[in-house]
Amino acid sequence: MQNRFGIKDFVLIMLVVIVGLSVWLTMFQRGREWTKLQGMEQKIDGQERALGRLERAGDNKAAMDEIRGLRAQVEQLAAGRDETLRAIAAMSAKLDGVSGNKRAVDGTGITDADIQKRLDELVKQGNPGKSASSGSSGTASATGTGPRDESWARPGLKIDWQEPWSFVTDPRSVKGYRDGGGASEFTETFEAQPAKIVPFLGLDVYGRRVIDLVMQSLGSYDPKTLKMRGQLADAWQADPAGLWLRVHIRSDARFSDGVKLTAEDVRWTFHDFVMNEQVETERDRSTLRDSIKSVTVIDERTVEFAFFEPLFLNESNALTLFILPKHFYSKFTPAEINKSTGLLMGSGPYKLERLSLDTEWSPPSPVVLVRNEYYWGPRSVVDRLRFKAIDNELARLTDYTNGGSDMITPSAPQFVSKIEDPDWNKENQNLNWVNMKSGRSGIIWNCGARGGPTGKPTPFADKRVRQAMTMLMDREKMVRDIWKGVGVVAKGFNNPGTPGCDPDAKPWPYDTTRAKALLKEAGWEDRNGDRVLENKDGQDFVFEVTTFGTGEVSEKTGAFIKDACAAVGIRVTIRNMDWSVGDPVRKQRDFDALLMGWGANAPESDPKQIFHSDSIKNQGDNFAQWNSPASDALIEQARRELNPDKRAQLWRDWEAVMHDEQPYTWVRVQPWVRFIDGDVGNVVAYPKGLEVWEFFRGGAASATPGN
Amino acid sequence: MGTYLLRRILLMVPTLIGITFLVFMLVALAPGGIGAGLSQSAGAMQSQTAVAQTKARLEDRYGLDDAPPVQYARWLGRISPIKFGARDLAGPGGVLIRSPKPIKDPPMWQWFTDSPLGSLATPLVAAERYESMVGANLSEDDRQERFREAERRYADARAAYIGEVATFKETLGEYARGVGMPNAVDKNGQAKPRLLSKHTPDKSSAAFVKLAAQWPRVQAAYQAAQVTRTDMLAAFKSDPYPKAGLPVIPGVMSLTKPDFGVTFTGSQPVIELIAKRLPVTLLINLVAFPIIYLIAIPGGMIAATKRGSILDVGLGALFIAMWSFPVVLAGVLAIGFLASKEYLGAFPVSGLHDNAADSMHFLPQRTDGVLERGWVLDTVWHICLPVLCLVYGGFAILSKQCRAAMLDNFSADYVRTAKAKGVATRDVVFRHVFRNSLLPLITMFVTIFPAMLAGSVVIEKIFTVPGMGSLMLEAIANRDRELLLANTLMIAAVNLLALLLADIMYALADPRVTYD
Repeated sequence: MQNRFGIKDFVLIMLVVIVGLSVWLTMFQRGREWTKLQGMEQKIDGQERALGRLERAGDNKAAMDEIRGLRAQVEQLAAGRDETLRAIAAMSAKLDGVSGNKRAVDGTGITDADIQKRLDELVKQGNPGKSASSGSSGTASATGTGPRDESWARPGLKIDWQEPWSFVTDPRSVKGYRDGGGASEFTETFEAQPAKIVPFLGLDVYGRRVIDLVMQSLGSYDPKTLKMRGQLADAWQADPAGLWLRVHIRSDARFSDGVKLTAEDVRWTFHDFVMNEQVETERDRSTLRDSIKSVTVIDERTVEFAFFEPLFLNESNALTLFILPKHFYSKFTPAEINKSTGLLMGSGPYKLERLSLDTEWSPPSPVVLVRNEYYWGPRSVVDRLRFKAIDNELARLTDYTNGGSDMITPSAPQFVSKIEDPDWNKENQNLNWVNMKSGRSGIIWNCGARGGPTGKPTPFADKRVRQAMTMLMDREKMVRDIWKGVGVVAKGFNNPGTPGCDPDAKPWPYDTTRAKALLKEAGWEDRNGDRVLENKDGQDFVFEVTTFGTGEVSEKTGAFIKDACAAVGIRVTIRNMDWSVGDPVRKQRDFDALLMGWGANAPESDPKQIFHSDSIKNQGDNFAQWNSPASDALIEQARRELNPDKRAQLWRDWEAVMHDEQPYTWVRVQPWVRFIDGDVGNVVAYPKGLEVWEFFRGGAASATPGN
Repeated sequence: MGTYLLRRILLMVPTLIGITFLVFMLVALAPGGIGAGLSQSAGAMQSQTAVAQTKARLEDRYGLDDAPPVQYARWLGRISPIKFGARDLAGPGGVLIRSPKPIKDPPMWQWFTDSPLGSLATPLVAAERYESMVGANLSEDDRQERFREAERRYADARAAYIGEVATFKETLGEYARGVGMPNAVDKNGQAKPRLLSKHTPDKSSAAFVKLAAQWPRVQAAYQAAQVTRTDMLAAFKSDPYPKAGLPVIPGVMSLTKPDFGVTFTGSQPVIELIAKRLPVTLLINLVAFPIIYLIAIPGGMIAATKRGSILDVGLGALFIAMWSFPVVLAGVLAIGFLASKEYLGAFPVSGLHDNAADSMHFLPQRTDGVLERGWVLDTVWHICLPVLCLVYGGFAILSKQCRAAMLDNFSADYVRTAKAKGVATRDVVFRHVFRNSLLPLITMFVTIFPAMLAGSVVIEKIFTVPGMGSLMLEAIANRDRELLLANTLMIAAVNLLALLLADIMYALADPRVTYD
């Protein structure tokens, strides 16, 4: 036999490949249909359950007839599904026939939207007064009229009644409001794919943005005032000594499947989900472990949190805990929850459509949220929210200009170059504002000895040198040069607009003359005419700046510091290292100066970990080794002060101490920048961020950049 | 041929082990080491003790407290299809349940007690509890219920113990510094028990008093962890769930599916991630390959037959120019000009599917006079730009190689003979010269394929294509042991198979080559 590869062999191999490929594609298409069918089945299930509940609750005869009609429709839909199954079985042999199945489903003539609309009407009839789907913004609340029931509370102590949680800016009151008519969609493009969107397990910033629209907590920060307000709670009562907090849940609070939210859900969330060592909720567990001692159910709508110590963060820890539906999450084993990517169900204005382990959302497909028709509060306008991810910066902007998305976060250069174009401004809303989630960046000076107590003190051990260093850096120019002018000069640890930031405080000026004078006072001057500063022992002023990660920004910042220092005779070397190896450097204080950034997630945080002198010992997080008795005293006092106004004043006093001592040179607050399609209405830049659930489509609205 | 193939395939096993071991050790020895990504996600605004405890618990969960070679050996054991000893259980949702890991003794217990377990008589307790779990004829539901309870209590007790040990080790570090043994403290401020064990404790030092005060808590936590572990073990042995794998010698050896574990961030089963990503990368590469060959080879042939002409020089220059053009720039230009609606706007910007792809028909079809592209065509449309970026740099090498090989053959004696005996030029070119020039082109496949797999990492990043590239980057960034090893294994296996394929094709194309 001749061992040759001829045309005949080629044709044969191609044939085999084609047959294999068609078999694989057929199986793939079957898989697609299967996923769709499961989604349909779940929807039918949900509607059947909802109908069952309505039937039990309904005493209205007309409504009952309507329900029966609906039930017939659901059955018809189920029959349509069976028909589809049969059709698939018949056609699966033929690849060409497969594409015909879709029509069989549609053939029943009922769409999900129909059913949903009818159900909405029913719900409205069933609960007069409680508008799950009415167009008005105000929710009828149990707190509205008549004497309030106070039997749940401990007697003799003040009860903090809460205004019902609602829109800050009601979209229906905005000029140009339009109802999307059941088809309005809003798409946001993220810079990276969220890894998972399971509450307490989805930790990245993008996952959090999706989770925030679906999950709710007992309380939340008011988007405008940043004060704590009741969300699922209509009242709470706090221990004057700060050791417990009793919270009362709204009567109409319910999850997106219509099941009521009770005190047991709160207890279960804390004790059996967050504190369950089998569930991978380490991040929240280690924060809450030292704060909340226990959660006790008082009655169906009342829970009591007990705390270990009277600290101000306890209240927000307890109130901002997302409440999970016990009946849903307890169906899964901890291992199943840990590996899930899309088990996300809550009581918020939006929900996920598919919620079983087989059909859950998983990356890299876009996350699609639909409006929660059972939402207890005012109804959102946009029907669907879509969140996708594009890694590349240019691709993101191109996709946005192509109309592929309605909101992106542009890079600083993109933002600056686009807003110069008048045509662009006509069609887009450009947002640039500082809010409570803005990050800050700065330079940490090692105020102690390099390499720990046994090392040599750095030049920055002297307060005057640190003040001089700050005045040497033209921070406004840094923002202009390094970040294209996007950003504001930071003046302290707390973000502008948050209670801890004094609006009247000013950052140190850029003043090289004063800086030189201070350096001279501290003993640094050019003694031998080599244009480099020396101290009285003749040692040159030389230090090292450590930057983390690669990237233009850290490179440019390093270069800027080098130039600014060279101008007055200080020599700077730059050391760049990967973030993951930075840990020992920080812990062992093996640096002179560090470039760092901080994120924020709440209006107030506890600075003890990074600024108190206790955290210098044992390689704690006070990297700067800043030891200030004045600061320590204020921190101790403020974290035990439960009155928010008094505490804000203490934080401001503390900021003043830090301003004077300058352990850090604060450089920039990073604002949020967004491009939003001009067609999106009711876009308001709040001090808390953006409230996507208030948006509507079809309004040529003008942006209202805050601040 | 058969023996040859078998030998080659068997040889792949040690090769793969060698590759994965090298990659693993490289990452383990790099600063930060395995699991460096974990400490970053621990959050900043927590008390130091909480951070240390969380870190210790994570290390315990992922086995990071063992030396890297031990970790690697354990990984090998898990992916081996042959298992020895007790079989794992197949829990709900396909999650494997292993018998509980042993608990390490508390550090420096010799300083405080004769036995870390103290008054607790474990063997007796274990036997009793075992009886109560297995002895009674419990239904499967009951056994599962008991197992879940035991599992929860064990997890809580173990975590509490690990937390206590972390705090205890911190104080030990303090003690070591106090008595002048700074060598016995690691970078994280925790003590190294191995070095301390040779040292006679200085009972008068302040840190020792603190240690002695902490010891009872550590011991109590240790006892609780041991008791709950015994329960857990008993519940495990009562077989609440079916056993995984096939027994070969019952109780001694069994066959199972290789277990690639779960990722460190998010506990995703690694094998599922790879099953989702590898086909995407392969799809792009397998589409790109024929395109490269179909353009480069005719190009090389034309260049060879028209040697020295403008066409030859022009094609050569063009291909070399394309080869030297950086792919990052090409990708960005393609997005900016071909995908942006301000210019051509003919292609999608990113991803593999359209928003509406889920509800699309499968094949293209015309409904009410409107052509819908369907799922298949949508995919093809989306991979156009990534494939374009992947192929353009590949022409140069192949076409040059083809041209050189053909020129070589043109000057061979047999071609002159063929021409002399009057064979048509076309036949000379195609039947003689081309056939004989094919051989080096097949060998080229071997060098191009791995390079293209690597190149597609960049392209996947630019076009947001969810392939192996982004998964690999994620694995490296997080120093994620499971993901890294599995990815390396997969990519190495694909490459080795490509090499094997090239060898087989070589034998098919050249009758002179046999492997027998």
